[in-house]
Amino acid sequence: MSKTVRLEVITPSKVFYRGRVELVIVRTLEGDEGFMAGHSWACKLLDIGELWIQEEGKSQKDEDWKVAAIAGGFIDVRDSIIIYTDAAEWSDDIDMERVLSEKAKAEDWLTTETKHDPNEIARAQIAIAKSIARMHVAEGGGRRKR
Amino acid sequence: MASSNTQDIKRRIKSVTSTEHITNAMKLVSAGKLRKAKATFEKTNENFHYITHSIAEIFNNSSDVPRHYLLGNREIKTTCYIIVTSSKGLCGGFNSNVIKEAEREILADWEKPVIIAIGNKGKEYFQKRGYDIYSEYLEPPESISFLETQEMSRPIIEMYNSGEIDEVVLIYTSFISSLEQEVKNVTLLPFDIEQDPDIMQLEKEVEYEPSVEAVFNYLIPKYVEMMVYAAVVESATCEHAARRMAMENATDNAREMLDNLSLYYNRARQSSITDQIIEIVAGSEAQK
Repeated sequence: MSKTVRLEVITPSKVFYRGRVELVIVRTLEGDEGFMAGHSWACKLLDIGELWIQEEGKSQKDEDWKVAAIAGGFIDVRDSIIIYTDAAEWSDDIDMERVLSEKAKAEDWLTTETKHDPNEIARAQIAIAKSIARMHVAEGGGRRKR
Repeated sequence: MASSNTQDIKRRIKSVTSTEHITNAMKLVSAGKLRKAKATFEKTNENFHYITHSIAEIFNNSSDVPRHYLLGNREIKTTCYIIVTSSKGLCGGFNSNVIKEAEREILADWEKPVIIAIGNKGKEYFQKRGYDIYSEYLEPPESISFLETQEMSRPIIEMYNSGEIDEVVLIYTSFISSLEQEVKNVTLLPFDIEQDPDIMQLEKEVEYEPSVEAVFNYLIPKYVEMMVYAAVVESATCEHAARRMAMENATDNAREMLDNLSLYYNRARQSSITDQIIEIVAGSEAQK
């Protein structure tokens, strides 16, 4: 059995996950990255994307991973790992209909609204990116489709 | 005379009883709300302490924090005060304590302040006294979402970066226990590196990605957002605790008053009966 590390995923409203894990994979701004016990200390920003957790004693088989969609944040790697994110959702909890309607709303907004306010456009783009990440996660994660 | 007196007392008893009903109901309502608010507060407090601590640790251990976020790198002229009060009254000294502290701070500083009011009471007070309210949030504080604090914090960071404001002070009520709350006044920006002695020095080098600057430019607004959010949640808890206390006192006072009034009422009734008996006795004596 490999070494484990304590992981906490924190959102503004609650502690989303707390436990010992063998491997956690997140999407940093530079690309997907995995963290295991004994990683050098780091503080990295996370992009909107998927969070993959291999819990203590679990295999690397597809169905053993815990998968969640997260809305960006940062990861603080020390002797234990803390992930802070604005919002997080487990793959099982994602409501596909709501995601699709939100995505449609944001896309609709981008195509029809003509104000060209850069802030508003950025917000719509973020909303679309979040919906896509959640769709991937709900379908079992982009990684699984390899 | 005597009968009008008992009438008066009866009327007063009725009005005090209905007041007592109201305050008692409000007490129960705020007790329930307090329980809920306390649960949220405890959850956020636990998490946030963690995050703010880890942010503070990073600030204290990196030599590459963008200079304009640190204390002593620019003259402090305009201060932005974020004042967290409640939107409703009837909660004892809760609002006036916050307002008193805020006013003391504002008067001590002769530059024109920028005020951000969370909660109606603080806004009304400072608006009446001719201060400009830069922005306000007037919904009940317990229903605030993190997204809304984010919207509120964004202009603060922008103003700070553009140099319109040089200091951000947060004034709110901190929760010690259900019976005790304390007004706190926290300087969010600029960051004072020496402020916290129990933050340990890290012995290892930390990797930052994509770059130290990017990490800080993300973390500092986050820090402000989280502090504001935590303050609002904490203040909501305090508001309910304060209201519960105030209503409990009011109910107790009303009950005490009712006791006294019913004593007076009985006395007045008794004396009117005595008067009537005297009249009857006097009348029958006269007929002899």
